[in-house]
Amino acid sequence: MRDTPQRLLTRHFFTSLFDFGFLSDAGAESFKKLLLGVSAVAMALGLLLVRILALKYIGLARAGTPADYQRELTVDHAFLMAVPMWVVAFATVLVGHALFPDETDYRILTAQPVSRATIFRAKLLALLRFAALFVVGTHAALLLMLLITTFHRLAATNGIAMIVVFETVSFLASAFAALAIVALHGVLVLVAPRARLVGFSTLVRSTLVCVLVLSLPLLLRLPGTGATVARGAWWLPWTPPMWFVGFERWVLGLPGPTAAVAWYGIVATMIAAAIAAATYGVLYRNFDRVILRPESPHAPPRQARGWPTRRPVRRAILQFASITLRRSVLHQGIIVALAAVAAGFVVNAMLGTDVAPRRGRVAVARGASPWLVTWAPMVFMFIAVPAIRLALSIPLELRANWIFRMTEADRTRGDAIGAAVATTFWLGVIAPVAVLLPLQWTTLGPIAAPIAVVDALIGWLYVEILSQDWRRIPFTCSYLPGKTFLPQLVIKSVFGFFFFTGFGSLLGQFIAFVPAAALFAGAIIGATAAALLVRRRRTARHAPLVFEDQLPTDLNTLSLSGD
Amino acid sequence: MLQARGLTKRYGGLTALDRVDFELHPGEIVGYLGPNGSGKSTTVNMVVGLLEPSAGSITLDGMTASQDPIAYKRRIGYVPEEPYLYAHLTASEYLTLVGRLREIPVKALEARITTLLQLFQLHDSRYKSMTAFSKGMRQRVLVAAALLHNPDLIVLDEPFSGLDVNAGLLFRTLLRLLADEGRMIFFSTHRFDMVEKLCSRVVVLSSGRVVLQQRVADFDRSGPDSLEETFSRVTAQVDYLPLARRIFDTIRRD
Repeated sequence: MRDTPQRLLTRHFFTSLFDFGFLSDAGAESFKKLLLGVSAVAMALGLLLVRILALKYIGLARAGTPADYQRELTVDHAFLMAVPMWVVAFATVLVGHALFPDETDYRILTAQPVSRATIFRAKLLALLRFAALFVVGTHAALLLMLLITTFHRLAATNGIAMIVVFETVSFLASAFAALAIVALHGVLVLVAPRARLVGFSTLVRSTLVCVLVLSLPLLLRLPGTGATVARGAWWLPWTPPMWFVGFERWVLGLPGPTAAVAWYGIVATMIAAAIAAATYGVLYRNFDRVILRPESPHAPPRQARGWPTRRPVRRAILQFASITLRRSVLHQGIIVALAAVAAGFVVNAMLGTDVAPRRGRVAVARGASPWLVTWAPMVFMFIAVPAIRLALSIPLELRANWIFRMTEADRTRGDAIGAAVATTFWLGVIAPVAVLLPLQWTTLGPIAAPIAVVDALIGWLYVEILSQDWRRIPFTCSYLPGKTFLPQLVIKSVFGFFFFTGFGSLLGQFIAFVPAAALFAGAIIGATAAALLVRRRRTARHAPLVFEDQLPTDLNTLSLSGD
Repeated sequence: MLQARGLTKRYGGLTALDRVDFELHPGEIVGYLGPNGSGKSTTVNMVVGLLEPSAGSITLDGMTASQDPIAYKRRIGYVPEEPYLYAHLTASEYLTLVGRLREIPVKALEARITTLLQLFQLHDSRYKSMTAFSKGMRQRVLVAAALLHNPDLIVLDEPFSGLDVNAGLLFRTLLRLLADEGRMIFFSTHRFDMVEKLCSRVVVLSSGRVVLQQRVADFDRSGPDSLEETFSRVTAQVDYLPLARRIFDTIRRD
């Protein structure tokens, strides 16, 4: 088949959507292995889910009524539509920077003998292919579950017809998820001032990642909401998968409370498609003017005032880390996504817990809320600290790290590492503890203050334990993902999670009973963390910084010959 | 004085640099010439302390990079061949980062950054991230960063690439002034004209070996003993006319 410019460009745009620019060749290879591991875990969980669903529908076939079946069918189909919607939305958010032709495309491609229409068509086709990959992939993976729910003794409609309608509507739902994000990005590209585009784009993508991750526990709860949905839950109009299930049931002629929202999905898809098409159209017609519009003058970014300090290296790296985390979509996205996972855990626990505020010791003895409010900061810290370490590990402009290599010094190395540790501590420990303090205070009263201090000390100890072997300046070392064997990592994480959150929560509740314990526990934990800090600083004088990541299996050459 | 003695770098079985000797005295600008792959960048990386030699040594006033790497690197200002910098920072933020890493006192640093940004005509763009900068603007930022701590030795790897005529002239004049004030300037380049205009001495490298060291004043302006002709001779450059003709023939073919 002849390679036309459009076919070549489509292939170029498509492959660039999978380009992990921040990874070296070795890193990309390692990342592929990690993805294989993750896929294996996902498949195992998927098979477990199939088994659970099969047992549910066998139970319904034995003892259920047609009404019971319809009730469960509604929420299970909502779940089966929600999963591809979520996956497609997440994938689209991740490639948000490449949804529209950008300045690089303009400068490089418009200089070539290809028309603007070819560039835009190729971009659209690449995106379509990208979205289709995820849509078809997730639908194929969920097909077995769909068959279990559809071909049933109590089903009121023909199974084949139901599958055809479901798949059509579900594809429409996934298209809505992708189009909504494309429309949002399109509006942003057209409206945001050029100087602020990267900033806005970073903010929007981080927010979307956060919303999507936070929606995961809600998505996973969908199959259990049959009874609530049957009563006409208030949240139906706010749950997009329900719109499309409503439409599916309307097409199949099945009654139910979702009928009220049946047309929401169609209208929303049309609006999203119209906005996406309009933004593409405007960009197509005014490519040069939109892409190359002059930067509007704006207030200068906040400059950190330089006050005299005896540790300028620490200050330099702290500021470098802070600016990078504010401006880099990738690094911010990692932190936001993983922090949202923590928030998801807490939201999930809250949904199953009475969170009405109660005060004092009696409440501690009686209610579940004190457990929740002492557990929540631990969950955030347990997830946020490694998330921030991961974000700091991923390189940016690796070849620019020569300035750090040229200025490395035994005397200041501790400060350089300390800056990374401090960034992790402030963002991964102090921020969640401070954010959750009002909730703790409302529930526990003034005793929340010493509990928060002890929480912060536990977090400090956790950061110090994880940082004992840390030898990197943020964003300056190459990165090889998947260094730890995945099952080992999962087991360690699960045990670590239960131990860390359980210990922290129990200690917090104990302090609520015996406030004096805060002093004792704080002193022990603080002293241990301080000892680890001293040890880390002492080691830093002798151990050079690392600028090349290594797999644990790599041989460490002793460089005895000087080669 | 910068002194390289028997400088050798091997990568496995490949010898990138083979027993290279040269000297650079205060007030001198040495041009380091050589074809692509001759070992110029390897030498530069070793001079600035980013690479360790496999054999031989580099000393700066008697001190090797391995003896006290910090004191050694502190005396060097470096402009890399490509504008490798953190483009998501503004010019001002990048210079602040470099200045703090080099432990320049805060007040002096702020004043120096403001002045350098003005002098390098970057002041108007000081609040823009460098992603929007042209190659020349980025190059100017790197030059400013290299001079920020008033180094004794300035190492330049193709510093004029991307600079416009005015910036190039300014930079050339500045280098001459710095040399007059006793700084050592090690200047790796492909450009004969710059070497002729700027350098007092030239070291020519070919296949990892020094093949010529000579005062620039000793070359003729043109003819067989000019710098360009001598370079072609000592580095065994081929006659490019047949090659150029073959390229032309290739593109002319259907």
